[in-house]
Amino acid sequence: MLRFRSIWFARLAIILAFFALWEIAPRVGLMNERLLPPLSDVIAALIGLLGSASFYPHLGTTLFQTLLAFLIAVPAGAILGILIAENRFASEVFKPLVFFIFSIPKSIFLPMFILAFGIGLTQKVAFGVFSTIFIVMMTAFAAIASVKEEHLRVARSYGASTMQVVLRVYLPSMTPVLLEAVRLAMIFNFTGILLAEMYASRRGLGNLIGTWGMSFQLDQLLAAIILISGLSIVFNETIRALELRLEHWRG
Amino acid sequence: MRMTPAHVRWLLLLVLLVLWEALPRAGVVPTLFLPTLSGSLLALWQDKAEYFANLLVTLNEVLIALIFACGGGVLLGLVIGASGVMRRLMLPLASSLFAVPLVVLYPLFTAWFGIGSESKIVFASVYGLLPTLLGTAAGVQTIDHHLVTVAASMGANRRQQILRVYVPATIPTVLAALRIGGALVIVGVVVAEMLTSSAGIGFLISRYRTLLDSENVFAAILLVLFLAIAFDAIVQFVERRTAGWQRSGQGTGDGASFA
Repeated sequence: MLRFRSIWFARLAIILAFFALWEIAPRVGLMNERLLPPLSDVIAALIGLLGSASFYPHLGTTLFQTLLAFLIAVPAGAILGILIAENRFASEVFKPLVFFIFSIPKSIFLPMFILAFGIGLTQKVAFGVFSTIFIVMMTAFAAIASVKEEHLRVARSYGASTMQVVLRVYLPSMTPVLLEAVRLAMIFNFTGILLAEMYASRRGLGNLIGTWGMSFQLDQLLAAIILISGLSIVFNETIRALELRLEHWRG
Repeated sequence: MRMTPAHVRWLLLLVLLVLWEALPRAGVVPTLFLPTLSGSLLALWQDKAEYFANLLVTLNEVLIALIFACGGGVLLGLVIGASGVMRRLMLPLASSLFAVPLVVLYPLFTAWFGIGSESKIVFASVYGLLPTLLGTAAGVQTIDHHLVTVAASMGANRRQQILRVYVPATIPTVLAALRIGGALVIVGVVVAEMLTSSAGIGFLISRYRTLLDSENVFAAILLVLFLAIAFDAIVQFVERRTAGWQRSGQGTGDGASFA
């Protein structure tokens, strides 16, 4: 217990040292203050952003697009993945294809989405779905593979109905892997949406970041980077905590 | 004759290529949206000098970033993965960082390093570093701890343990990490070039997009795809070559433990 706590303190110390260095280095002139504004200035900028009414439409646009793409990509990817994995011929045909498509970089197709859909909401969401759906399919393959054959056989030999097999065998076995799909999908999806906004857009967090970088408003830029990192880490850790609880519950 | 899955895959690819040529030609899809396959390949051929010059810029950035990303990632991964304390201390931090969409750092790097090659190299290095680090650290954990114990009992010091036991035993993991890291470095460089730059394949993609020259946009995308697939094939080839060597190494290892 003590060792666990000391590890935890050491980790906290590393994070604090990073932030302290960020504050001190520009203050004492180790870093150019224009290129790296001290942490306190960046936090002041962040508070300023969160207090200004004009910031929220941008944040809202990004979050809405991310959520919409997520709500399309995760169910669609999960269903497609499960359908493919459950059929032997389909898995032999499509699994290598999905693995291949997963391995090629998706970001370079972004200009094609602009040529096809312009630079509005449709293009952002379509690109978000495209960046996300393959990782969800791959995780769904793993989810189906994690269902143990013996469990299925026992359930069937005791006369479980299809509904019971799905609810009592498939779902409990697959939940941790599907949570992993949700976690990875959000990382890919959020990155896709932000990239699309940075590349070509009229509003959104990505748009703001791109503009601030070009106009050297680095305190605002860093404030937005902190905000985005914070949001991503909190989401990620929440899902991971859920995964751990489920693992524990499964024994 | 029954169709094997591989036949179906090739057939799908063929259908896709035929559709790519036929649909725009027949006017079903506007050519701005999807130019014909032959048109895109022709564009690639006609402007080959320009593509070649920009490909060199991109390749140069990719190569330098690969050294930083994979060298740094493998080294840090080995150091962290080999020690239990470091693993419990650093790995949760590293996997939390993994959730951060790193692309938001790129405007910062252009502000710091300008819009030349430096910002691309830094961005791609950072982009490829974490997955390489996590992959290597995970691989170090999978190695047989008897090997380390044996080496230690024979008086190998920490440096020897790392060089003679950990490094050879982690070659497969390192190659796997290189595959992931390398793919990310290529994407990182091209995406950075697409966002703000004055040279490179990514720059060509963005320039032709603003000119609405779809044929050249597709031509440049095909070129990047080719680059990514070729890199993957090369690492896979090396993986296969060293896999045989690994097995023979394990064979003597078994003999030693038997004796």
